[in-house]
Amino acid sequence: MRDRVQFSLMLAPYLTGLAVLIIVPAIAGFGLAFADYNALQPPRFAGLANFRALLEDDVFRIAIANSLFYIALAVPLRLVGALFTARLLLRPRRGTRLYRAIVYLPTLIPDMAWALIWLWILNPIYGPLNQALALVGIDGPAWLVDPTWARLGIVLMMIWQIGEGFVVCLASLQGVSRDLLDQAAVDGSSLWRAFWGVSLPLIAPALLLLLFRDTILSFQANFVPALIVGRGGGPDYATTFLPMYIYTTAFGYLRFGYAAAMTCAMYFITGLVLWLQYRTAVRWRLGFDDAG
Amino acid sequence: MPGSLVPQRHRLSGLGHRVLAPVVALLFFLPLLWALSASLHEPGVTARRMIAGVPSPVAWGNYREVFRVVDLLRYAANSLFVIALAVPITIVVASWAGFAVSQLPQRWRWRFIALSVLCLMVPLTAIWLPRFILFKEAGLIDRRIALVVPALMGTSPFYVLLFTWTFLRIPQEIYEAARLDGATPWRIWQEIALPLARPAIVAVAVLSAVHYWNSVIEPLLLIRTDANNTASLGLRVLYSLDRTNWPLIMTGAIVVIAPVLLVFVLAQRAFLQDPRGHDRLGH
Repeated sequence: MRDRVQFSLMLAPYLTGLAVLIIVPAIAGFGLAFADYNALQPPRFAGLANFRALLEDDVFRIAIANSLFYIALAVPLRLVGALFTARLLLRPRRGTRLYRAIVYLPTLIPDMAWALIWLWILNPIYGPLNQALALVGIDGPAWLVDPTWARLGIVLMMIWQIGEGFVVCLASLQGVSRDLLDQAAVDGSSLWRAFWGVSLPLIAPALLLLLFRDTILSFQANFVPALIVGRGGGPDYATTFLPMYIYTTAFGYLRFGYAAAMTCAMYFITGLVLWLQYRTAVRWRLGFDDAG
Repeated sequence: MPGSLVPQRHRLSGLGHRVLAPVVALLFFLPLLWALSASLHEPGVTARRMIAGVPSPVAWGNYREVFRVVDLLRYAANSLFVIALAVPITIVVASWAGFAVSQLPQRWRWRFIALSVLCLMVPLTAIWLPRFILFKEAGLIDRRIALVVPALMGTSPFYVLLFTWTFLRIPQEIYEAARLDGATPWRIWQEIALPLARPAIVAVAVLSAVHYWNSVIEPLLLIRTDANNTASLGLRVLYSLDRTNWPLIMTGAIVVIAPVLLVFVLAQRAFLQDPRGHDRLGH
Protein backbone atom coordinates (compact mmCIF):
# COMPACT_ATOMS: atom_id res chain seq x y z
CA MET A 1 0.00 0.00 0.00
CA ARG A 2 2.76 2.42 1.04
CA ASP A 3 4.70 1.31 -2.03
CA ARG A 4 1.79 2.05 -4.30
CA VAL A 5 1.45 5.58 -2.93
CA GLN A 6 5.14 6.23 -3.47
CA PHE A 7 5.08 4.89 -7.03
CA SER A 8 2.09 7.12 -7.77
CA LEU A 9 3.96 10.12 -6.39
CA MET A 10 6.93 9.32 -8.61
CA LEU A 11 4.70 9.11 -11.66
CA ALA A 12 2.67 12.19 -10.78
CA PRO A 13 4.92 14.96 -12.17
CA TYR A 14 5.38 13.14 -15.48
CA LEU A 15 1.70 12.32 -15.94
CA THR A 16 0.59 15.80 -14.88
CA GLY A 17 3.10 17.29 -17.30
CA LEU A 18 1.93 15.07 -20.16
CA ALA A 19 -1.68 15.98 -19.44
CA VAL A 20 -1.13 19.73 -19.18
CA LEU A 21 1.46 20.15 -21.94
CA ILE A 22 0.46 17.53 -24.52
CA ILE A 23 -2.87 15.78 -24.00
CA VAL A 24 -5.02 18.75 -22.98
CA PRO A 25 -3.57 21.03 -25.71
CA ALA A 26 -4.15 18.28 -28.29
CA ILE A 27 -7.81 18.03 -27.28
CA ALA A 28 -8.28 21.76 -26.75
CA GLY A 29 -7.08 22.32 -30.30
CA PHE A 30 -10.22 20.66 -31.63
CA GLY A 31 -12.40 22.96 -29.52
CA LEU A 32 -10.47 26.00 -30.64
CA ALA A 33 -11.22 25.12 -34.26
CA PHE A 34 -14.88 25.95 -33.65
CA ALA A 35 -14.10 29.34 -32.14
CA ASP A 36 -13.22 32.82 -33.24
CA TYR A 37 -10.25 33.75 -31.10
CA ASN A 38 -7.49 36.35 -31.41
CA ALA A 39 -5.82 35.81 -28.01
CA LEU A 40 -6.81 39.35 -26.95
CA GLN A 41 -10.60 39.17 -26.59
CA PRO A 42 -12.43 36.16 -25.14
CA PRO A 43 -13.20 33.42 -27.70
CA ARG A 44 -16.55 33.41 -29.48
CA PHE A 45 -18.29 30.30 -30.79
CA ALA A 46 -18.07 30.28 -34.57
CA GLY A 47 -19.59 26.93 -35.48
CA LEU A 48 -18.23 25.53 -38.72
CA ALA A 49 -17.23 28.94 -40.10
CA ASN A 50 -13.49 28.19 -39.84
CA PHE A 51 -13.82 24.92 -41.71
CA ARG A 52 -15.99 26.53 -44.37
CA ALA A 53 -13.39 29.26 -44.85
CA LEU A 54 -10.70 26.59 -45.27
CA LEU A 55 -12.45 25.24 -48.35
CA GLU A 56 -12.11 28.60 -50.09
CA ASP A 57 -8.56 29.34 -48.99
CA ASP A 58 -6.17 28.94 -51.92
CA VAL A 59 -3.06 29.23 -49.74
CA PHE A 60 -4.36 26.42 -47.53
CA ARG A 61 -4.73 24.21 -50.59
CA ILE A 62 -1.17 25.08 -51.66
CA ALA A 63 0.09 24.35 -48.13
CA ILE A 64 -1.49 20.88 -48.20
CA ALA A 65 -0.01 20.16 -51.61
CA ASN A 66 3.42 21.33 -50.39
CA SER A 67 3.20 19.19 -47.26
CA LEU A 68 2.23 16.13 -49.30
CA PHE A 69 5.06 16.85 -51.72
CA TYR A 70 7.46 16.96 -48.79
CA ILE A 71 6.15 13.69 -47.34
CA ALA A 72 6.24 11.96 -50.71
CA LEU A 73 9.82 13.01 -51.45
CA ALA A 74 11.74 13.80 -48.25
CA VAL A 75 10.43 10.99 -46.03
CA PRO A 76 11.34 8.09 -48.39
CA LEU A 77 14.68 9.69 -49.28
CA ARG A 78 15.52 10.09 -45.59
CA LEU A 79 14.60 6.48 -44.90
CA VAL A 80 16.62 5.15 -47.84
CA GLY A 81 19.53 7.41 -46.86
CA ALA A 82 19.49 6.14 -43.28
CA LEU A 83 19.30 2.53 -44.43
CA PHE A 84 22.05 2.98 -47.01
CA THR A 85 24.49 4.68 -44.63
CA ALA A 86 23.73 2.13 -41.91
CA ARG A 87 24.43 -0.80 -44.26
CA LEU A 88 27.58 0.89 -45.53
CA LEU A 89 28.94 1.46 -42.01
CA LEU A 90 27.58 -1.75 -40.49
CA ARG A 91 30.77 -3.79 -40.10
CA PRO A 92 33.41 -2.42 -37.76
CA ARG A 93 36.53 -1.61 -39.75
CA ARG A 94 39.17 1.05 -39.63
CA GLY A 95 37.55 4.45 -39.56
CA THR A 96 34.02 3.17 -39.08
CA ARG A 97 33.58 4.86 -35.72
CA LEU A 98 34.65 8.20 -37.14
CA TYR A 99 32.42 7.80 -40.21
CA ARG A 100 29.43 6.92 -38.05
CA ALA A 101 30.01 10.02 -35.92
CA ILE A 102 30.23 12.18 -39.04
CA VAL A 103 26.97 10.79 -40.43
CA TYR A 104 25.31 11.67 -37.13
CA LEU A 105 26.92 15.12 -37.02
CA PRO A 106 24.37 17.14 -39.09
CA THR A 107 21.56 15.87 -36.84
CA LEU A 108 23.24 17.50 -33.85
CA ILE A 109 23.55 20.90 -35.46
CA PRO A 110 20.96 23.35 -34.07
CA ASP A 111 18.05 23.80 -36.51
CA MET A 112 18.62 27.56 -36.75
CA ALA A 113 22.32 27.15 -37.58
CA TRP A 114 21.54 24.36 -40.05
CA ALA A 115 18.94 26.54 -41.80
CA LEU A 116 21.31 29.52 -42.06
CA ILE A 117 24.09 27.27 -43.39
CA TRP A 118 21.78 26.02 -46.12
CA LEU A 119 20.53 29.51 -46.87
CA TRP A 120 24.19 30.21 -47.67
CA ILE A 121 24.90 26.93 -49.48
CA LEU A 122 21.84 27.40 -51.71
CA ASN A 123 22.56 31.04 -52.50
CA PRO A 124 22.13 31.00 -56.30
CA ILE A 125 25.04 33.35 -57.08
CA TYR A 126 27.64 33.10 -54.34
CA GLY A 127 26.60 29.86 -52.64
CA PRO A 128 29.17 27.06 -52.48
CA LEU A 129 26.84 24.50 -54.07
CA ASN A 130 26.35 26.38 -57.33
CA GLN A 131 30.02 27.32 -57.36
CA ALA A 132 30.97 23.67 -56.95
CA LEU A 133 28.54 22.75 -59.74
CA ALA A 134 30.12 25.44 -61.93
CA LEU A 135 33.51 23.78 -61.42
CA VAL A 136 32.22 20.65 -63.14
CA GLY A 137 30.53 22.69 -65.84
CA ILE A 138 26.97 22.64 -64.52
CA ASP A 139 24.98 25.86 -64.47
CA GLY A 140 23.28 25.52 -61.06
CA PRO A 141 19.60 26.34 -60.65
CA ALA A 142 18.25 29.49 -58.97
CA TRP A 143 17.66 27.50 -55.77
CA LEU A 144 15.77 29.88 -53.50
CA VAL A 145 14.33 32.11 -56.21
CA ASP A 146 12.63 29.52 -58.38
CA PRO A 147 9.61 27.99 -56.53
CA THR A 148 10.28 24.39 -57.59
CA TRP A 149 13.97 24.54 -56.74
CA ALA A 150 13.25 26.25 -53.42
CA ARG A 151 11.01 23.35 -52.42
CA LEU A 152 13.63 20.83 -53.58
CA GLY A 153 16.31 22.76 -51.70
CA ILE A 154 14.43 22.23 -48.44
CA VAL A 155 14.06 18.52 -49.17
CA LEU A 156 17.79 18.42 -49.92
CA MET A 157 18.84 19.99 -46.62
CA MET A 158 16.64 17.55 -44.68
CA ILE A 159 18.36 14.51 -46.24
CA TRP A 160 21.45 15.28 -44.17
CA GLN A 161 19.72 15.20 -40.78
CA ILE A 162 19.01 11.46 -40.65
CA GLY A 163 21.11 10.55 -37.62
CA GLU A 164 18.25 9.05 -35.60
CA GLY A 165 17.08 6.84 -38.46
CA PHE A 166 20.71 5.90 -39.11
CA VAL A 167 21.17 4.73 -35.51
CA VAL A 168 17.92 2.76 -35.53
CA CYS A 169 18.82 1.07 -38.85
CA LEU A 170 22.32 0.34 -37.57
CA ALA A 171 21.00 -1.27 -34.38
CA SER A 172 18.40 -3.28 -36.34
CA LEU A 173 20.94 -4.51 -38.90
CA GLN A 174 23.33 -5.48 -36.11
CA GLY A 175 20.53 -7.66 -34.78
CA VAL A 176 20.35 -9.65 -38.02
CA SER A 177 22.09 -12.96 -37.45
CA ARG A 178 25.41 -13.35 -39.23
CA ASP A 179 24.69 -17.04 -39.74
CA LEU A 180 21.63 -16.31 -41.85
CA LEU A 181 23.64 -14.01 -44.11
CA ASP A 182 26.47 -16.52 -44.47
CA GLN A 183 23.92 -19.18 -45.29
CA ALA A 184 22.51 -16.94 -48.03
CA ALA A 185 26.03 -16.43 -49.41
CA VAL A 186 26.69 -20.16 -49.41
CA ASP A 187 23.41 -20.63 -51.25
CA GLY A 188 24.79 -18.38 -53.96
CA SER A 189 23.02 -15.12 -53.15
CA SER A 190 24.87 -11.95 -54.02
CA LEU A 191 25.50 -9.35 -51.34
CA TRP A 192 22.62 -7.31 -52.68
CA ARG A 193 20.21 -10.25 -52.76
CA ALA A 194 21.17 -11.27 -49.23
CA PHE A 195 20.44 -7.73 -48.07
CA TRP A 196 17.18 -7.52 -49.98
CA GLY A 197 15.99 -11.03 -49.18
CA VAL A 198 17.31 -11.66 -45.66
CA SER A 199 18.16 -8.44 -43.81
CA LEU A 200 15.39 -6.20 -45.10
CA PRO A 201 12.40 -8.40 -44.20
CA LEU A 202 13.88 -8.94 -40.74
CA ILE A 203 14.21 -5.24 -39.99
CA ALA A 204 10.99 -4.25 -41.79
CA PRO A 205 9.06 -3.57 -38.53
CA ALA A 206 11.72 -1.07 -37.38
CA LEU A 207 11.68 0.56 -40.81
CA LEU A 208 7.90 0.86 -40.71
CA LEU A 209 8.04 2.56 -37.31
CA LEU A 210 10.69 4.93 -38.63
CA LEU A 211 8.53 5.70 -41.64
CA PHE A 212 5.51 6.50 -39.45
CA ARG A 213 7.55 8.60 -37.07
CA ASP A 214 9.25 10.58 -39.82
CA THR A 215 5.93 11.20 -41.56
CA ILE A 216 4.32 12.54 -38.39
CA LEU A 217 7.30 14.62 -37.35
CA SER A 218 7.69 16.05 -40.86
CA PHE A 219 4.97 18.46 -39.73
CA GLN A 220 7.47 19.83 -37.25
CA ALA A 221 10.76 19.27 -39.07
CA ASN A 222 10.10 21.54 -42.04
CA PHE A 223 8.95 24.54 -40.02
CA VAL A 224 12.33 26.14 -39.29
CA PRO A 225 13.62 25.50 -42.85
CA ALA A 226 10.47 27.15 -44.24
CA LEU A 227 10.85 30.06 -41.82
CA ILE A 228 14.53 30.71 -42.57
CA VAL A 229 15.50 29.09 -45.87
CA GLY A 230 12.06 29.77 -47.39
CA ARG A 231 12.05 33.21 -45.69
CA GLY A 232 8.60 32.62 -44.26
CA GLY A 233 7.21 30.22 -46.86
CA GLY A 234 8.29 31.76 -50.17
CA PRO A 235 9.00 32.26 -52.97
CA ASP A 236 5.43 32.40 -54.19
CA TYR A 237 4.20 30.12 -51.33
CA ALA A 238 6.48 27.33 -52.62
CA THR A 239 7.73 26.45 -49.11
CA THR A 240 4.52 27.29 -47.25
CA PHE A 241 4.07 23.90 -45.61
CA LEU A 242 1.13 23.46 -43.25
CA PRO A 243 2.99 24.36 -40.02
CA MET A 244 4.39 27.49 -41.67
CA TYR A 245 0.90 28.61 -42.72
CA ILE A 246 -0.52 27.77 -39.29
CA TYR A 247 2.23 29.84 -37.68
CA THR A 248 1.59 32.85 -39.93
CA THR A 249 -2.17 32.62 -39.45
CA ALA A 250 -2.07 32.31 -35.67
CA PHE A 251 0.95 34.29 -34.55
CA GLY A 252 1.06 36.74 -37.46
CA TYR A 253 -2.63 37.47 -38.04
CA LEU A 254 -3.88 36.32 -34.61
CA ARG A 255 -6.53 34.05 -36.15
CA PHE A 256 -6.16 31.24 -33.65
CA GLY A 257 -9.49 29.55 -34.38
CA TYR A 258 -8.80 29.42 -38.09
CA ALA A 259 -5.29 28.10 -37.50
CA ALA A 260 -6.72 25.43 -35.18
CA ALA A 261 -9.06 24.32 -37.97
CA MET A 262 -5.99 23.89 -40.17
CA THR A 263 -4.38 21.83 -37.40
CA CYS A 264 -7.41 19.53 -37.48
CA ALA A 265 -6.84 19.14 -41.21
CA MET A 266 -3.21 18.34 -40.44
CA TYR A 267 -4.27 15.55 -38.07
CA PHE A 268 -6.64 14.21 -40.72
CA ILE A 269 -4.01 14.23 -43.47
CA THR A 270 -1.45 12.60 -41.18
CA GLY A 271 -3.90 9.82 -40.35
CA LEU A 272 -4.73 9.32 -44.01
CA VAL A 273 -1.08 9.13 -45.08
CA LEU A 274 -0.23 6.73 -42.24
CA TRP A 275 -3.12 4.50 -43.25
CA LEU A 276 -1.96 4.46 -46.89
CA GLN A 277 1.61 3.71 -45.83
CA TYR A 278 0.42 0.91 -43.60
CA ARG A 279 -1.69 -0.66 -46.34
CA THR A 280 1.20 -0.44 -48.80
CA ALA A 281 3.61 -1.92 -46.27
CA VAL A 282 1.32 -4.85 -45.50
CA ARG A 283 1.08 -5.65 -49.19
CA TRP A 284 4.83 -5.23 -49.62
CA ARG A 285 5.66 -7.58 -46.77
CA LEU A 286 3.18 -10.16 -48.02
CA GLY A 287 5.10 -10.04 -51.29
CA PHE A 288 8.22 -10.99 -49.37
CA ASP A 289 6.52 -13.95 -47.74
CA ASP A 290 5.41 -15.23 -51.15
CA ALA A 291 8.92 -14.93 -52.53
CA GLY A 292 10.39 -16.76 -49.55
CA MET B 1 31.98 -24.20 -55.58
CA PRO B 2 29.52 -22.46 -53.32
CA GLY B 3 32.12 -21.93 -50.60
CA SER B 4 34.20 -19.59 -52.76
CA LEU B 5 31.39 -17.08 -52.80
CA VAL B 6 31.87 -16.12 -49.19
CA PRO B 7 35.29 -14.47 -49.68
CA GLN B 8 33.95 -12.67 -52.76
CA ARG B 9 31.17 -11.21 -50.67
CA HIS B 10 33.69 -9.88 -48.19
CA ARG B 11 35.89 -8.46 -50.92
CA LEU B 12 32.94 -6.56 -52.37
CA SER B 13 31.90 -5.09 -49.06
CA GLY B 14 35.55 -4.24 -48.37
CA LEU B 15 35.65 -2.23 -51.59
CA GLY B 16 32.44 -0.44 -50.65
CA HIS B 17 33.93 0.42 -47.32
CA ARG B 18 37.25 1.67 -48.65
CA VAL B 19 35.85 3.86 -51.42
CA LEU B 20 32.23 4.61 -50.64
CA ALA B 21 32.43 5.15 -46.89
CA PRO B 22 34.95 8.03 -47.01
CA VAL B 23 32.98 9.66 -49.85
CA VAL B 24 29.72 9.45 -47.90
CA ALA B 25 31.42 10.75 -44.77
CA LEU B 26 32.84 13.69 -46.70
CA LEU B 27 29.38 14.40 -48.11
CA PHE B 28 27.93 14.54 -44.61
CA PHE B 29 30.76 16.77 -43.45
CA LEU B 30 30.61 19.15 -46.43
CA PRO B 31 27.93 21.61 -45.17
CA LEU B 32 29.85 22.22 -41.96
CA LEU B 33 33.09 22.53 -43.92
CA TRP B 34 31.55 25.14 -46.22
CA ALA B 35 30.22 27.08 -43.26
CA LEU B 36 33.62 26.95 -41.57
CA SER B 37 35.33 28.13 -44.74
CA ALA B 38 32.89 31.03 -45.18
CA SER B 39 33.40 32.07 -41.56
CA LEU B 40 37.10 32.58 -42.23
CA HIS B 41 36.60 35.02 -45.11
CA GLU B 42 36.74 38.81 -44.83
CA PRO B 43 33.29 40.04 -43.79
CA GLY B 44 31.30 42.34 -45.99
CA VAL B 45 33.07 41.31 -49.17
CA THR B 46 31.09 38.69 -51.03
CA ALA B 47 33.89 36.77 -52.62
CA ARG B 48 33.35 34.94 -55.88
CA ARG B 49 35.35 31.94 -54.75
CA MET B 50 34.26 30.81 -51.34
CA ILE B 51 33.74 27.13 -51.82
CA ALA B 52 36.12 25.26 -49.60
CA GLY B 53 39.68 25.54 -48.55
CA VAL B 54 41.37 28.15 -46.43
CA PRO B 55 41.20 31.77 -47.60
CA SER B 56 44.19 34.06 -47.41
CA PRO B 57 44.39 36.00 -45.29
CA VAL B 58 42.34 34.04 -42.76
CA ALA B 59 39.85 36.42 -41.17
CA TRP B 60 40.02 35.20 -37.59
CA GLY B 61 38.69 38.63 -36.61
CA ASN B 62 35.16 37.44 -37.49
CA TYR B 63 35.14 35.43 -34.30
CA ARG B 64 35.74 38.60 -32.28
CA GLU B 65 33.49 40.77 -34.43
CA VAL B 66 30.44 38.51 -34.13
CA PHE B 67 30.36 38.97 -30.35
CA ARG B 68 30.46 42.73 -30.86
CA VAL B 69 27.69 42.87 -33.48
CA VAL B 70 25.20 40.85 -31.42
CA ASP B 71 25.27 40.03 -27.73
CA LEU B 72 25.95 36.32 -28.28
CA LEU B 73 27.29 35.92 -24.75
CA ARG B 74 24.03 37.21 -23.32
CA TYR B 75 22.02 34.84 -25.54
CA ALA B 76 24.27 31.94 -24.53
CA ALA B 77 23.86 32.87 -20.87
CA ASN B 78 20.07 32.79 -21.29
CA SER B 79 20.30 29.33 -22.86
CA LEU B 80 22.57 28.16 -20.06
CA PHE B 81 20.13 29.54 -17.48
CA VAL B 82 17.38 27.42 -19.03
CA ILE B 83 19.66 24.37 -19.25
CA ALA B 84 20.88 24.73 -15.66
CA LEU B 85 17.29 24.54 -14.40
CA ALA B 86 15.75 22.22 -16.98
CA VAL B 87 18.33 19.43 -17.08
CA PRO B 88 18.30 18.50 -13.35
CA ILE B 89 14.50 18.71 -13.25
CA THR B 90 14.33 16.52 -16.37
CA ILE B 91 16.60 13.88 -14.84
CA VAL B 92 14.62 13.72 -11.59
CA VAL B 93 11.16 13.66 -13.21
CA ALA B 94 12.12 11.24 -16.00
CA SER B 95 13.99 8.83 -13.71
CA TRP B 96 11.15 8.86 -11.15
CA ALA B 97 8.63 8.04 -13.85
CA GLY B 98 10.94 5.53 -15.50
CA PHE B 99 11.57 3.76 -12.21
CA ALA B 100 7.89 3.65 -11.27
CA VAL B 101 6.93 2.32 -14.72
CA SER B 102 9.64 -0.35 -14.53
CA GLN B 103 8.26 -1.58 -11.18
CA LEU B 104 4.60 -1.64 -12.19
CA PRO B 105 2.79 -4.89 -12.98
CA GLN B 106 3.30 -5.93 -16.62
CA ARG B 107 -0.15 -4.83 -17.78
CA TRP B 108 0.17 -1.31 -16.41
CA ARG B 109 3.75 -1.03 -17.55
CA TRP B 110 2.71 -1.59 -21.15
CA ARG B 111 -0.07 0.95 -20.83
CA PHE B 112 2.33 3.63 -19.66
CA ILE B 113 4.87 2.73 -22.34
CA ALA B 114 2.15 2.96 -24.99
CA LEU B 115 1.04 6.33 -23.61
CA SER B 116 4.64 7.58 -23.71
CA VAL B 117 5.20 6.42 -27.28
CA LEU B 118 1.92 8.04 -28.32
CA CYS B 119 2.86 11.37 -26.72
CA LEU B 120 6.33 11.12 -28.25
CA MET B 121 4.68 11.10 -31.67
CA VAL B 122 2.82 14.40 -31.20
CA PRO B 123 4.58 17.14 -33.16
CA LEU B 124 4.97 20.43 -31.34
CA THR B 125 3.30 22.19 -34.25
CA ALA B 126 0.10 20.22 -33.58
CA ILE B 127 -0.27 21.57 -30.05
CA TRP B 128 1.50 24.94 -30.08
CA LEU B 129 -1.66 27.07 -30.34
CA PRO B 130 -3.38 25.85 -27.12
CA ARG B 131 -0.02 25.62 -25.40
CA PHE B 132 0.77 29.23 -26.29
CA ILE B 133 -2.62 30.35 -24.96
CA LEU B 134 -1.97 28.36 -21.78
CA PHE B 135 1.42 30.03 -21.27
CA LYS B 136 -0.11 33.42 -22.02
CA GLU B 137 -2.86 32.93 -19.43
CA ALA B 138 -0.20 31.80 -16.92
CA GLY B 139 1.69 35.05 -17.48
CA LEU B 140 4.76 33.29 -18.84
CA ILE B 141 5.19 35.25 -22.07
CA ASP B 142 8.65 36.80 -22.54
CA ARG B 143 10.03 35.11 -19.44
CA ARG B 144 13.01 32.77 -19.66
CA ILE B 145 11.48 30.54 -17.00
CA ALA B 146 8.71 29.65 -19.48
CA LEU B 147 11.29 27.73 -21.50
CA VAL B 148 11.99 25.51 -18.48
CA VAL B 149 8.35 24.39 -18.12
CA PRO B 150 8.61 21.31 -20.43
CA ALA B 151 11.18 19.90 -17.94
CA LEU B 152 8.26 19.36 -15.55
CA MET B 153 7.17 16.47 -17.77
CA GLY B 154 10.72 15.19 -18.16
CA THR B 155 11.16 17.24 -21.37
CA SER B 156 10.37 14.26 -23.63
CA PRO B 157 8.63 10.92 -23.04
CA PHE B 158 11.67 9.44 -24.79
CA TYR B 159 13.79 10.10 -21.70
CA VAL B 160 11.23 8.33 -19.51
CA LEU B 161 11.33 5.36 -21.87
CA LEU B 162 15.12 5.40 -21.74
CA PHE B 163 15.07 5.24 -17.94
CA THR B 164 12.33 2.58 -17.94
CA TRP B 165 14.42 0.43 -20.25
CA THR B 166 17.55 0.99 -18.14
CA PHE B 167 15.83 0.11 -14.85
CA LEU B 168 14.25 -2.99 -16.42
CA ARG B 169 17.69 -4.26 -17.34
CA ILE B 170 18.85 -4.18 -13.72
CA PRO B 171 18.16 -7.65 -12.25
CA GLN B 172 14.88 -7.45 -10.36
CA GLU B 173 16.33 -9.59 -7.51
CA ILE B 174 18.35 -6.56 -6.39
CA TYR B 175 15.15 -4.56 -5.88
CA GLU B 176 13.46 -7.56 -4.25
CA ALA B 177 16.30 -7.99 -1.76
CA ALA B 178 16.14 -4.32 -0.81
CA ARG B 179 12.38 -4.51 -0.46
CA LEU B 180 12.67 -7.50 1.88
CA ASP B 181 15.07 -5.42 3.96
CA GLY B 182 12.26 -2.91 4.34
CA ALA B 183 13.50 -0.26 1.88
CA THR B 184 10.81 2.01 0.43
CA PRO B 185 10.54 2.50 -3.36
CA TRP B 186 11.83 6.00 -2.73
CA ARG B 187 15.04 4.70 -1.14
CA ILE B 188 15.49 1.97 -3.75
CA TRP B 189 15.30 4.63 -6.47
CA GLN B 190 17.79 6.84 -4.68
CA GLU B 191 20.29 4.30 -3.42
CA ILE B 192 20.14 1.39 -5.86
CA ALA B 193 18.47 2.24 -9.17
CA LEU B 194 19.92 5.69 -9.81
CA PRO B 195 23.59 4.84 -9.10
CA LEU B 196 23.29 1.86 -11.47
CA ALA B 197 21.80 4.04 -14.22
CA ARG B 198 24.71 6.42 -14.61
CA PRO B 199 25.05 5.96 -18.43
CA ALA B 200 21.35 6.74 -18.84
CA ILE B 201 21.70 9.83 -16.66
CA VAL B 202 24.61 11.06 -18.77
CA ALA B 203 22.70 10.37 -21.98
CA VAL B 204 19.56 12.19 -20.78
CA ALA B 205 21.62 15.10 -19.45
CA VAL B 206 23.45 15.51 -22.77
CA LEU B 207 20.39 14.99 -24.98
CA SER B 208 18.16 17.34 -22.98
CA ALA B 209 20.85 20.02 -22.65
CA VAL B 210 21.38 19.92 -26.43
CA HIS B 211 17.59 19.97 -26.89
CA TYR B 212 17.20 23.22 -24.92
CA TRP B 213 20.22 24.79 -26.62
CA ASN B 214 18.90 23.91 -30.11
CA SER B 215 15.20 24.54 -29.56
CA VAL B 216 13.76 27.19 -31.88
CA ILE B 217 9.98 26.94 -31.84
CA GLU B 218 9.45 27.46 -28.11
CA PRO B 219 11.62 30.59 -27.68
CA LEU B 220 10.29 31.89 -31.01
CA LEU B 221 6.74 31.82 -29.65
CA LEU B 222 7.37 32.76 -26.03
CA ILE B 223 10.27 35.25 -26.01
CA ARG B 224 9.69 38.85 -27.13
CA THR B 225 12.52 40.98 -25.74
CA ASP B 226 15.95 40.75 -27.33
CA ALA B 227 17.60 40.57 -23.90
CA ASN B 228 15.75 37.29 -23.21
CA ASN B 229 16.67 35.58 -26.49
CA THR B 230 18.36 32.19 -26.47
CA ALA B 231 21.47 31.27 -28.49
CA SER B 232 19.46 29.78 -31.38
CA LEU B 233 17.26 32.86 -31.67
CA GLY B 234 20.33 35.07 -31.34
CA LEU B 235 21.49 33.64 -34.65
CA ARG B 236 18.28 34.87 -36.22
CA VAL B 237 18.93 38.34 -34.78
CA LEU B 238 22.42 38.26 -36.31
CA TYR B 239 20.94 37.25 -39.66
CA SER B 240 18.30 39.99 -39.56
CA LEU B 241 20.94 42.70 -38.94
CA ASP B 242 22.76 42.18 -42.24
CA ARG B 243 21.37 39.51 -44.51
CA THR B 244 24.26 39.57 -46.96
CA ASN B 245 27.22 39.45 -44.58
CA TRP B 246 27.66 35.70 -45.00
CA PRO B 247 31.10 35.37 -43.39
CA LEU B 248 29.77 36.88 -40.17
CA ILE B 249 26.50 34.89 -40.23
CA MET B 250 28.44 31.66 -40.74
CA THR B 251 30.77 32.67 -37.90
CA GLY B 252 27.73 33.01 -35.64
CA ALA B 253 26.48 29.61 -36.78
CA ILE B 254 29.83 27.99 -35.97
CA VAL B 255 29.92 29.68 -32.57
CA VAL B 256 26.48 28.29 -31.71
CA ILE B 257 27.33 24.83 -33.09
CA ALA B 258 30.68 24.53 -31.30
CA PRO B 259 29.42 23.89 -27.73
CA VAL B 260 27.06 21.17 -29.02
CA LEU B 261 29.90 19.39 -30.80
CA LEU B 262 32.12 19.75 -27.75
CA VAL B 263 29.50 18.13 -25.51
CA PHE B 264 28.97 15.44 -28.13
CA VAL B 265 32.65 14.58 -28.36
CA LEU B 266 32.94 14.43 -24.57
CA ALA B 267 29.90 12.16 -24.29
CA GLN B 268 30.65 10.12 -27.40
CA ARG B 269 30.95 6.91 -25.43
CA ALA B 270 27.44 7.24 -24.12
CA PHE B 271 26.17 7.89 -27.65
CA LEU B 272 27.84 5.52 -30.03
CA GLN B 273 29.24 2.63 -28.06
CA ASP B 274 25.78 1.26 -27.47
CA PRO B 275 23.65 2.37 -30.41
CA ARG B 276 20.54 0.79 -28.90
CA GLY B 277 20.82 3.21 -26.01
CA HIS B 278 19.96 6.01 -28.37
CA ASP B 279 17.07 4.38 -30.14
CA ARG B 280 14.36 7.00 -30.02
CA LEU B 281 11.60 4.52 -30.73
CA GLY B 282 12.25 2.90 -27.40
CA HIS B 283 13.06 -0.70 -28.14
